[in-house]
Amino acid sequence: MKPPEPARRSRRFAFEKHAGPISCALGLIVIIGLYAARQPMILSPFGLASLANASVALALAAVGQTAVLLTAGLDLSIGAEITLINCFAATTMGASGLGIAWVVAASLLLGLAMGFLNGVVVAYGRVEPLIATFCTAFIFSGAALIVLPRPGGSIPDGFAAALTGSWGPLPCSIVLLAGAVILVWAPVFNSRLGRYIVAVGDDAASARLSGLPVRRIELASYMLAGLFAAVAALFLAAETTSGDPGIGNIYTLNSLAASVLGGVALSGGRGTVIGPILGSFVLAIILNALGVFNVSAFWQDFIEGLILMVVLGIGGLRVLRAGSWLALLRQ
Amino acid sequence: MTRPAGTAEQDAAPRFAVGDRLSPRARRVVLSYLILLLIYGGCVAVSREFLSWGTMRLQLVQATFIGLIAIGETFAILIGQIDLSVPWTITLSAILGTNLAALHGQQWIAFAVVIAVGVVVGLLNTFGVFILRVHSLIWTLSVNLMLQGVALIYTNAVAPTTHIPALARFLALGNVGGMPMAFLVWAFFAALAILALGRLAFGRHVYAIGNRQAAALLSGVRLGQVHAVVFILSALGAAFVGLMLSGYSSQAYLGMGNDYLLPPIAAVVIGGTRLSGGDGGYVGSIAGALTVVLLQAMLITLNVSEGARQVIFGAILLALAFLFLKRGR
Repeated sequence: MKPPEPARRSRRFAFEKHAGPISCALGLIVIIGLYAARQPMILSPFGLASLANASVALALAAVGQTAVLLTAGLDLSIGAEITLINCFAATTMGASGLGIAWVVAASLLLGLAMGFLNGVVVAYGRVEPLIATFCTAFIFSGAALIVLPRPGGSIPDGFAAALTGSWGPLPCSIVLLAGAVILVWAPVFNSRLGRYIVAVGDDAASARLSGLPVRRIELASYMLAGLFAAVAALFLAAETTSGDPGIGNIYTLNSLAASVLGGVALSGGRGTVIGPILGSFVLAIILNALGVFNVSAFWQDFIEGLILMVVLGIGGLRVLRAGSWLALLRQ
Repeated sequence: MTRPAGTAEQDAAPRFAVGDRLSPRARRVVLSYLILLLIYGGCVAVSREFLSWGTMRLQLVQATFIGLIAIGETFAILIGQIDLSVPWTITLSAILGTNLAALHGQQWIAFAVVIAVGVVVGLLNTFGVFILRVHSLIWTLSVNLMLQGVALIYTNAVAPTTHIPALARFLALGNVGGMPMAFLVWAFFAALAILALGRLAFGRHVYAIGNRQAAALLSGVRLGQVHAVVFILSALGAAFVGLMLSGYSSQAYLGMGNDYLLPPIAAVVIGGTRLSGGDGGYVGSIAGALTVVLLQAMLITLNVSEGARQVIFGAILLALAFLFLKRGR
């Protein structure tokens, strides 16, 4: 007699959960189709590898951002984290006597350390994630300017080729992304920690009452974001074979947009890993395609902003289904 | 922005305990002025220059730019939102306003453009944040990016002019009775903002929305109207500051607003307004704006590199945010 039957409710819930990734996948097919109609070369292995290379850094950043968003947090410092690690790698990898492996390990540790700082400030200091990561972003990008005041530095060719080349038909960048997801994301989110992260994001108060170590869980999510930012920064270093103290700026907004596009809720507790990845590919390929469709460079920012607004607006259209303002505000 | 349940009770408890002594909100305002004194003391310790009126006059003008933007930002943060479209609203209104005014040889056109840009950007922000219910953080950042594109497209077609309306120059550089004109403008709008928040129905609606939107709706507050007014005021403030800045530096150029994203928000936070909305006011933001400007001036006087300056600025801001939370919760 109860109106929403459990089975129907859960099916609807399952659809809601996957609506973001599904629409992103469809969008991706349409965009690549349009792109290929204009430039058939894009479907060649080389073309696909170039599309992947243009998207993977954003995908890694978005996955890191998602880890934080799932706890109802927010990481505005992810772009600055990418910048600092990129500058660090570019100044140490080529010039100093340190081996590549050591620099990579140090970069990953640096990412974890920056995530740790964010996490301590947010989880233990109880500072709003917005203002906390806004402040740490200043600290990280300032540090990047100290490490490398002007674009420069160098990346060994071997390292660059290893990350941006192809293994047969498979672009290395995709292997890197898949590796990061399989080796880091999957174990974490199949463990108790992953379920705790979602629980904290869903309702921090009840999670605390249920005895979950909310602070440690939030801390872990920021460290996860830092780790993914480090991988993204290393990939960017390989792709551009240099360091740039302004390279990370766009990744803060774009990683948020890609996550939202992929169905991750900013209010926490809802989201998948595949959604943000697909969302990143959609965003990055659209931006990449602007050049192919003879869009002047002066129009790029305008169109990028417009696309973000349309994408975010489409995500907001679910509002029209709400019965009343009150029902909407309760969500 | 949702808050974890439970903090409300913790917030309410001391209010009764303190009794007729200062309310938590008043205490945070006092704290923000103490911080201002502390930073000013630091400035004086670094250089005697800060004791002279000539230097402080300069700082007052700088603080005016941040303070005027902080009016709209305070309103936006009080209703639980944020406006990050400020930098390119500044640039766009400055470039469009000065160019069109120079083209037609009429000063008032620059001010008409300021109002037009403010209203359009404000309505655009309201549309995304209120109608489509996108998080204001990412919506206004996207609007910012879009505005940057508009400014780029426009300057590609028409080069920015160096012919700045005399009135804009006067507003930024003029002197009235020994006081900088800019500061008088700020004082006027600051008084209006404090009055609006403290005495007008609009102010009560702003606090009501920031505390609980659903309750505000049920009490008959017109949510859409208040959101629109707040975002339009915020964009108008930024657009007006754009024109003043072009008068200040005698030119309008791409990227002129880029330094005005964080400082106004920092001013609001130092002023003791909660980012979660519904708690705070503009009195503290005034101290916040002055603190931010003095802090920047101190770091410049100390001659530290751009990178180190950013690190120190971020760290001090973080420490201040920390200070408020320790007392607040």
